[in-house]
Amino acid sequence: MAVGAFLLTVFAVVPWLIHVSGRWDFYYTLTSVALLSIASGGVWLTFYIGRINIGQGAFALAGGYVSAILVTKYGFSFWVTIPLSGLFCALLAVLIGLPILRLRGVYFAMITLVLTEVARLAALALPITNGARGISSIPLPGELSIFGLTIIPDFSTIGNVKLAFYYLATVLMVVSFAGLYRLVNSRVGHLCRSLQQNEELASSIGVNIAYLRVIAFAISSFLGGISGAIFVAISRSIYPASFPVKDSVDFMLNCFLGGLGYVFGPMLGTLMIYFGWDLLFTTGRFQLLIYSAILIMLIVTLPNGILSLPLFNKREADK
Amino acid sequence: MEQIIANGLYLGAQYALIALGLTLIFALMNVLNFAHGQMYVIGGFVTYTVYAQLGLPFVVGVAASGVTLAIIGALVQKFLFGPVIRKSVREESTMLLAAGLAFLLDAVVLLLFGEKQRGVPKIVNGIFNYNDYTIVMPYDKILVGVLAILAIAAFILYMQYSKTGRAMRALAQDKVAAQLMGVDVDRYSIIGFALGAMLAGVVGGLLVTVTGINLGMGGPTSIKAFMMVMIGGAGVISGAIAGGFILGMLESVGLTVLAAYGDITYLVIFASLMVFLAIRPQGLMGKPWG
Amino acid sequence: MTALLEINGLTKKFGGLTAVGDASFKVNDKEILSVIGPNGAGKSTLFKLISSFLRPTHGEVRFNGERISGLAPHIVARKGVVRTFQETTIFKDMTARQNVVVAHHLQSKASLLGHYAGTLTARRDEIDFHESAAEILEYLGLGHVQNEVARNLPHGYLRALGIAIGLAAKPQVLLLDEPFAGMNHDETMKAVEMVRGVRDRGITILLVEHDMKAVMKISDRIVVLNFGQMIAEGTPAEIQSNERVIEAYLGREDQEIGI
Repeated sequence: MAVGAFLLTVFAVVPWLIHVSGRWDFYYTLTSVALLSIASGGVWLTFYIGRINIGQGAFALAGGYVSAILVTKYGFSFWVTIPLSGLFCALLAVLIGLPILRLRGVYFAMITLVLTEVARLAALALPITNGARGISSIPLPGELSIFGLTIIPDFSTIGNVKLAFYYLATVLMVVSFAGLYRLVNSRVGHLCRSLQQNEELASSIGVNIAYLRVIAFAISSFLGGISGAIFVAISRSIYPASFPVKDSVDFMLNCFLGGLGYVFGPMLGTLMIYFGWDLLFTTGRFQLLIYSAILIMLIVTLPNGILSLPLFNKREADK
Repeated sequence: MEQIIANGLYLGAQYALIALGLTLIFALMNVLNFAHGQMYVIGGFVTYTVYAQLGLPFVVGVAASGVTLAIIGALVQKFLFGPVIRKSVREESTMLLAAGLAFLLDAVVLLLFGEKQRGVPKIVNGIFNYNDYTIVMPYDKILVGVLAILAIAAFILYMQYSKTGRAMRALAQDKVAAQLMGVDVDRYSIIGFALGAMLAGVVGGLLVTVTGINLGMGGPTSIKAFMMVMIGGAGVISGAIAGGFILGMLESVGLTVLAAYGDITYLVIFASLMVFLAIRPQGLMGKPWG
Repeated sequence: MTALLEINGLTKKFGGLTAVGDASFKVNDKEILSVIGPNGAGKSTLFKLISSFLRPTHGEVRFNGERISGLAPHIVARKGVVRTFQETTIFKDMTARQNVVVAHHLQSKASLLGHYAGTLTARRDEIDFHESAAEILEYLGLGHVQNEVARNLPHGYLRALGIAIGLAAKPQVLLLDEPFAGMNHDETMKAVEMVRGVRDRGITILLVEHDMKAVMKISDRIVVLNFGQMIAEGTPAEIQSNERVIEAYLGREDQEIGI
C-alpha cells in the first residue's frame, strides 16, 4: 500500500504537479535528490555493517570519470557505462576495502575521508582525467536499443530532457532501494547486522567477516559509482572538484538524519537536507548558519534519526 | 638537502601542534573533532583582527586566539558533546555532531570575517641565510617555528607535571578507573576540549603571519590533522608529535623531489598512508586494538 | 580413548612476556575439561589460542588430528570448534531468538546469493533455523524471553544466551569462557547443570574458569595454569590434593580456592 502510494507519487503525481505549476526547475532538484539518495543508500549499507563511511564522494567521482572517459574517448554508449562505472567502483572498493576494512570506528571514518581527498588529487594528477580542466561537453545519452528495438530514445531527440533524466534517476532509485530492502530483510542483512553488533562473535559462529565486509563495501561503492555516472551525464561535465569532501560528509549526514536503523532513512534524509538547504536560500548570508544550527539541534534531540520518531514507528516496527 | 630538512621541521612543528589538540580531544572523549580545521581558521582570524586591525602586539593576538578557542571548546563540550555522549548509544553520533559543528563554525567565520584571504604585516623582517644559501628561511618562519616548538614543550610539561594534566592522562587511559579514583570526568572533559581547541587556535594565530588565512583552509587542515593522527596512532601524545613531524618532513621532501611530476605530493603521501595502515592499523605509537 | 583436541607445546609471547609457555594436554571426546589458574595465569590467552583468535608463537592445536591453529576463527568454527564469550558479548540489538537464529549460519545450505534471492532452499533453511533455535532456547530455559531484545534481558539470562549462540553453530567442541564468573551459589549450581546438559547432547566441553567450587563439581579433568605454565593435570580429586596447586593459589592470598 505505502509502496504503491510512493511509486504513484514519484512517477505520476510529481510530474503532474510540476507540469501544472510550470516549475520545471524542480525536475533538476528532484533528480539530484534521487541520485544522492542512491549514493547515500550505499553509505547506509556500510553503516549497516558497522563502518562509518565518509568516502562515497571518491566513488561517485570515480564512477563519473569512468562514464565520461568511456563515452568521450572510447565512444561507448552511455547506457553501457552505467553498469561499467558501477562495476569499476565495486572492484576498486574490493582492492581498497581488503586492507582498510580491518580498521574500525573513527579510524575507518578518517581513512575514508582521506580517500575522498585522494580521489580528487588522483583526478588532478592522472593524464587520462585531463587534470583540473576536467572533461566537458559530454554528449547526451544516446539511444538504447536491443535487437533493433528502441527501449530508450536518444536523449537529444527528446523534447523534455529534464523529465527523461528525472525518470532515469527515480527508476534507478526505486530499484536500488528495493534491492537494499530485500538485502536487509534477507539472511544476508541479518549477517550484516551481526557484524555491526559484534564482529568477534560473528566470526565465532562461522561468519567470514572479511568477505562479508568487502561485499557490502563493494555494493555501496557500486551505488556511488552509478550515481556519479548519471550526475555526469546530466551536468555533461566532470571536474576533480565535482564531488568534494563536503559531498562525502553530506552522504553520511543524509543517512544519520533519516535514521541508521531504517533502510529508507537515506532517502528521507537526502530529501530533507537537499530541500532544507534550498528553502533556506531565502535567508541569504545566514543560510549556512541556520542550516547548521538546525542540523545540530536535530542531532542533539534525535540521535537516532527522523524515522525514529513515534509517528513513523508503527509502519517500521515490523522491520 | 639541509633546506628540505629545515622546511620539514618548520612545517612539522605547526602540524604537530594541530595534531596534539585533535588527539587530546580524541583520547579524552573518543570524539573525532571534524571542526578542528575550522577552529584553526578562527584562531587565524582572531589574531588577524587583534594584530592587523586593532594594531595590538602580535603576542596579544595569539593569546587572544588561544583564549577565544578555549572558550569555544569549553562551551561546545559542555552544551553539545557532553550531553550527546551521555545520551547516545552509538559512537557515530558524536562524529555527526562534529561535522555539524564544522559547518556551523564555517558559517560563523563567513559572517564575521567574510570569504577573503587575509594577511597580516610581517612580525619580523629579513631572511636568514646560512652557509651561503644552504639554508634560506625568512626570520618570521623561524620565529613561528620556535614558538610552535615552545608551545609543544609547554604542553608536554603541562600534561606531565600539572595536576590537571595528570588527571587528563588518567582519564585518557581508563575512564572508569579514573572515575573511581575521584577524577571529575565532566570537568576534565571540558578542560580537555578547551585545551585541544586552544592549541588549534594558537597554531592558526601563529601561521596567519606566514600563510595568511581564509575560510577554505578549515577542511584541508582537518584532513591533514587526521592523517598525522593516523600515522602516529590516535589518542597518543607522542604519536601526534611524531605524526606531525613525519607529515611535515614528507611534504617538504615531496615538494622538492616530486616537483617534476606535478602536484602529486599529497597523492603519494595518501597512497603510502593506506599501505602503511594496512600493515600497521594502529599507527606508529598507538596501542594495538581488537 | 581418542583425543578430540590436542594441544601441543602451545606458547604465546607478547614482547618479552610469556603469557602461555609450552602447554600440552589433550581433550577427550565428550568430556568436560576445565582450565583453571589464578588471575593472570594465562587462561584467557590459552583460550584465545585454542579458538584461533590469537596465533601461537610456537606449538599447535590439533582437532581430529588436523592442525587448526593459524586458521581464521570462522574456519575453526566451521570445523566444529566454537567458543563463547563472557556475558556482554551478544548481538545486543537483536531479540534472543534472532541471536540464536542468526548463529545457525554454518547450517545454511543455501548460498548468500540464494538467501538474497529467497530460493526454496533458503526458505527451508530459515524454517529449520527457527525450529532449531526454538528448541535450543527452550532447552536452556530462555523460551519465555525469546522475543526480548537482548540488550534488555536480565543479567542472569545473558550467559545462557551466549551458550545458546554457541550451540546453534552445532559444534563438536564448545569452549566456554568463564561461564560461572560473577554468579552466586544457586546460579552457579544451575549453570553447572546446564553445562552438563550440553555435554549430554554429545558436545565436548573445554572451559576456562576461576570459580574452583564449580570446576571441581563439573569437570572430568582439570588443567592448572600458573604464570603461563601448566603446573598440574588430573581429576578433581587429584588436583585438590596437589601441593603445587594449593601453593599457587595460597601464595597469591587467593580466597577463591574454596576447597
